[in-house]
Amino acid sequence: MFNYTLRRILTVVPTLLVLIIFSFYLMRLAPGGPFTSEKPLPPAVMKNVLERYGMDQPLYVQLWTYIKNIVFHFDFGPSFSQKDRTVNDVIAQGFPVTLTYGFWSAVFVLVLGIPLGIVAALRHNSFWDYTMTGLAIFSQIFPNFVLAPILVLLFTLSWGLLPGGGWNGGQWEYIIMPAIALGTSYMAGVARLTRGSMLEVLNAPFILTARSKGLPERTIIWRHALKPALLPTLTYMGPVFVYMITGSVFIDVFFSTGGIGQDFIDGAYSRDYAMLLGLAVLYSLLTFTLNLLLDLMYAWIDPKVRSNL
Amino acid sequence: MTLLSVKNLKIRFRSGDGKIHAVNDVSFDMAQGQKLALVGESGSGKSQIALAIMGLLARNAEVEGEILYDGRNLLDLSRSELNRLRAKEIALIFQDPMSSLNPYMTIERQLGEVVELHEGASRSAARKRALDVMDAVKIPDAKNRLKAYPHEFSGGMRQRIVIAMALICKPRLILADEPTTALDVTVQAQIMALLDDIQRDMGTAVLLITHDLGVVAGFCEDTMVLYGGRMMEAAPTLSLFDAPGHPYTRGLLRAVPRITEDDAELSAIPGSPPNQTGAPTACPFAPRCVDAIAECHRILPTMQDGRACIRPVEELT
Repeated sequence: MFNYTLRRILTVVPTLLVLIIFSFYLMRLAPGGPFTSEKPLPPAVMKNVLERYGMDQPLYVQLWTYIKNIVFHFDFGPSFSQKDRTVNDVIAQGFPVTLTYGFWSAVFVLVLGIPLGIVAALRHNSFWDYTMTGLAIFSQIFPNFVLAPILVLLFTLSWGLLPGGGWNGGQWEYIIMPAIALGTSYMAGVARLTRGSMLEVLNAPFILTARSKGLPERTIIWRHALKPALLPTLTYMGPVFVYMITGSVFIDVFFSTGGIGQDFIDGAYSRDYAMLLGLAVLYSLLTFTLNLLLDLMYAWIDPKVRSNL
Repeated sequence: MTLLSVKNLKIRFRSGDGKIHAVNDVSFDMAQGQKLALVGESGSGKSQIALAIMGLLARNAEVEGEILYDGRNLLDLSRSELNRLRAKEIALIFQDPMSSLNPYMTIERQLGEVVELHEGASRSAARKRALDVMDAVKIPDAKNRLKAYPHEFSGGMRQRIVIAMALICKPRLILADEPTTALDVTVQAQIMALLDDIQRDMGTAVLLITHDLGVVAGFCEDTMVLYGGRMMEAAPTLSLFDAPGHPYTRGLLRAVPRITEDDAELSAIPGSPPNQTGAPTACPFAPRCVDAIAECHRILPTMQDGRACIRPVEELT
């Protein structure tokens, strides 16, 4: 298990390297640059600016310097568009915000989605099952960029219950809507998937064995059925985390949370190379970490996977 | 003394195209320590009888008749009353050891939970019992294998674990539903020998459900033959093999390969299993029977002198 984890962590290094090199050259290929504007800068000023950010050097030297600074100083360089701030500063400020409501959103997805799916499966073909399946299908068709305006329309404009945006140091009323808007369709997906796999597991021969032992239904569900029923859900959570991370860019902008997504969008508009590259590295690290966690959980649940690690 | 008495058991399943009459008017008695075989082909309703005794029939099943265990009708018991009997008094051995063990739990827990449930044993006491019963079914190196998962065992070993699970509370009745079907022949023989030993040591009654007459011959004192959910013949195993009294039993025995007659051609029973939609009105075997006469297609024969056939034994081919 330890070796496996170590191996996985070591594979990140070449992956990140490839990602940095590709993104670096791709961004430079796009027309325009951080200092292009409608009124061109005087040549002398331009020369000064380029020198300050090291952009007078050949591309491969710039790339080498960039990588060297990350490896030796964990420094992602100065932002090209936000004066006197480094990419590290920007991440340190915006990332905790995105991470906070992202975490609560994931909690919402799992804590609501899994029990809903289980209850629907246990009350198979009943009123509750139909209601929940219907609701799940209904909410699954709402992507976050449709749901977010609807939530604001209802909870802020109509009922005045929740603030329509902002962060205010992360008080709970500012977290609720971003978290729900980000998570709802995935919560519905988790509920439907859990229901389906629970139904399948309950028909498995080993559940009949458990019944023949005289175990009460509650024990059968908790001890025998839950683990295998959650495996497909766990697999599904891998891509869900990635979607949630990318989805958070929109949520940050829409709710003006001050999260990292806003900086990502701004960086893209202003060709802030350092910012974009830094955030690309951050997002891929996040994706990697979550996927590794999922795989380890998978191994924890499934003994067959464990013995193959 | 009678341990189990099944009386006029009828099992029907609601389905899209009418009711499937899976088991029709089956009656039999089992004494304590008796070894009884229930023989029939796929779809003859033999497994459903075992599930009915355990109270584990599918939800769309309708049951009629009586299943008296120790004088109590199991069909009248509540779920929790049944749960007290399951594994403690009556245990079920399933056909497929590959899928009937929980792949996500250690063997120790799967064995141990039965003792914890029925006897209130502690974890460590349950572990001790799991170890004892694994030794009893001759699983080598049991001590070091307690923490193993089902996928770490071979098919034969898994079936031993399934048997151990059925034995752990020393039930008075074991229902063995095709216990060797999923195993290869040499392992089959080992498993049957094991069941035989255990049965003798513990005095447990065993209802062996199988389609394999070879398995029956060496194990059971008495045999019942089922076809289309009806009893065809019931007799002591030896006399059934010697002088089968029902055309179906005769056909079955002719289909068994014999080592003594290596050039003898194996005969199959022509035709296919009956459609069991709707209540039976005639002998279900009549369409495939070589001895059938016109009445056979009209009259529903009942069990008389251990056979359900309107034609006298002497007239059969």
